[in-house]
Amino acid sequence: MFQLVTQIAEAAAEIRRSWNVRPAAGIILGTGLGNLAKEIQAEAVLAYEEIPHFVRSTATGHKGQLVCGRIGETAVVTMEGRFHRYEGYSLEQITLPVRVMQALGIELLVISNASGGLQPYYLPGDILVIEDHVNLMGANPLVGVNDSRLGPRFPDMSRPYDRALVERSLAIARRENFVAHRGVYAAVSGPNYETRAEYRFLRRIGADVIGMSTVPEVIVAAQVGLRVLALSVITNVCLPDAVAKTDGESVVAAARAAEHKMRRLVLAILAEEERANCRQDSGCNGTSSRAEFRLSEESTAS
Amino acid sequence: MLHLAAQIEEAASTIRARWDVVPRAGLILGTGLGPLARQIEEHASWDYADIPHFPVSTATSHRGRLIAGMLSGVPVLAMEGRVHGYEGYPLDQVTFPVRVMKALGIELLILTNAGGGLNPQFANGDIMVIEDHINLMGANPLIGINDERLGPRFPDMSCPYDPELIKRGLELARQADIVAHRGVFVAVMGPNLETRAEYRFLRLIGADVVGMSTVPEVIVAVHAGLKVMAFSIVTDMCLPDALHPVCVEEIVAVANRTEPKLRTLINGILADLSSSVRSGAAERGAAGKHH
Repeated sequence: MFQLVTQIAEAAAEIRRSWNVRPAAGIILGTGLGNLAKEIQAEAVLAYEEIPHFVRSTATGHKGQLVCGRIGETAVVTMEGRFHRYEGYSLEQITLPVRVMQALGIELLVISNASGGLQPYYLPGDILVIEDHVNLMGANPLVGVNDSRLGPRFPDMSRPYDRALVERSLAIARRENFVAHRGVYAAVSGPNYETRAEYRFLRRIGADVIGMSTVPEVIVAAQVGLRVLALSVITNVCLPDAVAKTDGESVVAAARAAEHKMRRLVLAILAEEERANCRQDSGCNGTSSRAEFRLSEESTAS
Repeated sequence: MLHLAAQIEEAASTIRARWDVVPRAGLILGTGLGPLARQIEEHASWDYADIPHFPVSTATSHRGRLIAGMLSGVPVLAMEGRVHGYEGYPLDQVTFPVRVMKALGIELLILTNAGGGLNPQFANGDIMVIEDHINLMGANPLIGINDERLGPRFPDMSCPYDPELIKRGLELARQADIVAHRGVFVAVMGPNLETRAEYRFLRLIGADVVGMSTVPEVIVAVHAGLKVMAFSIVTDMCLPDALHPVCVEEIVAVANRTEPKLRTLINGILADLSSSVRSGAAERGAAGKHH
């Protein structure tokens, strides 16, 4: 893991060459949610191939570029398309972008994904605000020699998801009048969808939704001390006694149909964060904020 | 796995070169249990780095030293510190020292670890005598081509922990007024601690204590035909409805505080062993009487 520090620095330096802003938040857009990137006033767009040590996005509905810019007043760095274990990447590779975004300065990580609902009263298109997770991927991104410069050897997981952000997301959903649940996300490596017996197992052990991403990123975010908000679009409901066939295209279509809800949640959360930061910062007059904070290297790089 | 037999022999002969005694028991001392090692009347010791093919430990509070000597009247090999899957080692490497101790002649393997208590009846500093386990590491040390010289392709796991030793361990605890439970240990890969949802899952499926070690070594010990006894020190209670962030320093501190209790139990088990005849020798002795 000792080479990670170098890899992070090299990737961050490459991004700073095109965009020398300290972002307040990082966003990872999952299956079918790439359009959310259109909300960003892009200041720089980097294909993953252009960033050292980033792997390529091969999954359906994932574009594979880093969009840097602003949502409202907030400087954000957004991954349009993420990496998955089922693509054959190691969890260390998958989670490298989280470490890079942290190196760029983010304090908040917003993650979205598409998932299968295990609760019989969930409906396709519902949003689930992830409150906790179960890692059933059979792997962990922190396995290996620990580099204590990156974080602790045994990170605590008693509260990986920021409780205040969970509450606020649910409040926003009520205000905007759409259904959002809070619940437990179970991560499997995939790529096959689950059998009926597996759905029963997952439900019995306390999972509310099932998916193939997010948990590796959250484990790394917890290790490096980021606040995390993770939102899941329930694209299909997996009822083992009446299971319907699932395919990638219908999942992507269902995620797109629910995208407006996700967009409203993310925009509202970022706006609230921005206001909160403004209040904290006594010198703030409404236009300057932490989002405007520029890195000291800016003058040399531009 | 066919290269393993040669590697085992190389490591074993390195140890024999300096300590030509047949040990009866092997000890694997986990987090915070170093002090037991100091009680050994030491004949020889090696840094893991000096034994061919031994993996080198990087974990918090694990030293990485093999000690040969006498404990409670029994020749023992003790591993002060172990390596873990979360350090990035494949499990066949993690369990390599068990194979070497077996090759040197041990009959009994005693393992200790620090674990998180899932059973709400347990408390910090309690000892659990491991009765059974669940392997949730997502890996198995026996994966690969099987070398029949080392053990069977499909080892039985109906009774990996010796029932007589469990009974005796609990009896020794009662006699010394030590709180000891019997229970099920679940092994996960780590290195992060578990989420509340994961603790609920582990409790629901029947686990009493969760940890990041021991099970690979036990699987290999069973494969190699060793008797096994294993202890967990409950270093923190993992109650999902009242979960507090835990710090590793606290875990190590509780393990250190509890170490004397575990020492009492292990010394008792070894004292029993010293008054018994080596199983092979016993058979030979009995055969001799007949003739």
